Amino acid sequence: MAEKPPLVELRGIRKSFGAVTSLSGVDLTVGAGEVLGLVGDNGAGKSTLMKILAGALQHDSGDIAVNGRTVRLSSPADARREGIGIVYQDLALCDTIDVAGNLFLGREPRKGPFIDRAAMHAESARILADLHVRVSSTRQEIGQLSGGQRQTVAIARAVSLEPDLLILDEPTAALAVAEVESVLRLIGDVASRGVGVILITHRLQDLFRVCDRITVMYEGRSVDDAPIGDLDIEKLVAMITRSDPQKEERP
Amino acid sequence: MTARTDTAAPAGSAPPRLSPAVLWQRANKSTLLMIGVIVVLFGAFGIASPTFLTFGNLSNLATQIAPAVVVGVAMTFVITSGQIDLSVGSTVAFVAATSAELLAAGLDSALVIPIGIAAGAFWGLVNGWFAAYHRIPPFVVTLATMSVIRGIALLRTEGFSVPIDNRLFLARIGDASFLGFSASAWIALVVAVAGAVLLYTTRFGQYITGIGSQEESVRRAGVNTRRVKMLALVLSGSAAGVAGLLIAARLGSGSANSAQGFELVVIAAVVLGGTDLFGGRGTIVGTLIGAVITGAIANGLTLLGMSPFLTPIVTGCVLILAIWINLRGRDMAELGARLLRRGS
Repeated sequence: MAEKPPLVELRGIRKSFGAVTSLSGVDLTVGAGEVLGLVGDNGAGKSTLMKILAGALQHDSGDIAVNGRTVRLSSPADARREGIGIVYQDLALCDTIDVAGNLFLGREPRKGPFIDRAAMHAESARILADLHVRVSSTRQEIGQLSGGQRQTVAIARAVSLEPDLLILDEPTAALAVAEVESVLRLIGDVASRGVGVILITHRLQDLFRVCDRITVMYEGRSVDDAPIGDLDIEKLVAMITRSDPQKEERP
Repeated sequence: MTARTDTAAPAGSAPPRLSPAVLWQRANKSTLLMIGVIVVLFGAFGIASPTFLTFGNLSNLATQIAPAVVVGVAMTFVITSGQIDLSVGSTVAFVAATSAELLAAGLDSALVIPIGIAAGAFWGLVNGWFAAYHRIPPFVVTLATMSVIRGIALLRTEGFSVPIDNRLFLARIGDASFLGFSASAWIALVVAVAGAVLLYTTRFGQYITGIGSQEESVRRAGVNTRRVKMLALVLSGSAAGVAGLLIAARLGSGSANSAQGFELVVIAAVVLGGTDLFGGRGTIVGTLIGAVITGAIANGLTLLGMSPFLTPIVTGCVLILAIWINLRGRDMAELGARLLRRGS
């Protein structure tokens, strides 16, 4: 049997906003169950690339292939249909609605004209337990949770839509140490279910905890791609900043 | 594979049960406070006036607050979704005057009642269309329509009150009673129950709350938030239509000058009850309580022989007090939680 195509493959993605070129040729692949760290300095084009992959923006040229099949992602709904989920930095939760209500926002189970709250809470508890997310009650309001708990609820919601690829934009920024741990563990859990994960983060130490591979972006291009085992934090910093001393070490 | 499993215990893991602290957290502090205010208020008026606590007066009070309850329930949806509707008083007057005119023209009550409610819904639709689909702040839209709607009613009736023949069905609703309470009071109760069911048990209610909290989150979840926001204003317009019919039925006439300052009474009742003025948190029971408080103040002052012109002054002061409490509700919640934690 021939080698299975990667879950998602991007080739030569380009994107300009008027005269400003944001992406000038990005290649990136993620496999099923793989955690890919996407790093690069501010303005390197990480977020633009992920918005393209989530269908929120359209690229000018280049190919996106899902399971070896070239696809056109012209809207977020298209991306969802292709099994691509994203958790944005602002999480898109409602503070005054409880945990279960947020997990099922926009797709609440119904019994006749009414929301089936019993089913919603039971299902929420199951989803959260599956992912080892701990909240004291699914009836707790989101606004009363800590930043880390909110993050895990947002990720759990994205996972409950059963994506093949999950994009996480800075999930550990501004979290307390113990909360970072639970988010990282959740990422590991998600990947172990065979979901491909793209993790964008500025916290380089997190990459070494959960990632299998790192793709580095620099000024709108993907410039490096290396298994995490070949890297240490100094090498990674050098790859992001393109500083000279490390140049000859790179293949 | 890398080190994925060697993580410490997750943060904030509490026992999975509804502890008293959680229950207290979830209770609406402003609403609890207002129940206390009712007890004090009724006690004070009861002592000051021997007739205040009689069944006759309490039944009368229920009739008096019925229009404010009907519109207040709908206004709870509007305010919870982060909007406001200032035009309800004008819509009440418009529907009262128009339906009296239609009855005078010989139209049957069975037609006038649905027409009156539809007219209210129409003005709500106008408000909602501008506010939700054209992004004009609802405060501005309804401030403008407040003037337009009453203006049209005044123009048509030239300010004269239009009498309603007391043999007509609509007028008889105004006199009807059941178990000692008027039809108006029963209608208000039905509206309140229906409002509570709609707010707490349906997707519509959930999205109203969500939109008032973080509209963008609800929109990204695939909900048509503009439609929900427009429907909230259609609801308050329709409720104002019902209130207009109730007021016309009770007074036996429809006047374009009626329900002046009614929006203030309704908003005071809603905010007094604990619905968050900035949206995201609404309580129908609270609105009911708020309407009882504002109504009892007006009723009690009249019984004590005070000038009826004192009522708007007191209502305005109560509104300011209510907003003051509303804005500090969260501080009080924190204070309460801290006291509780220290106690346990």
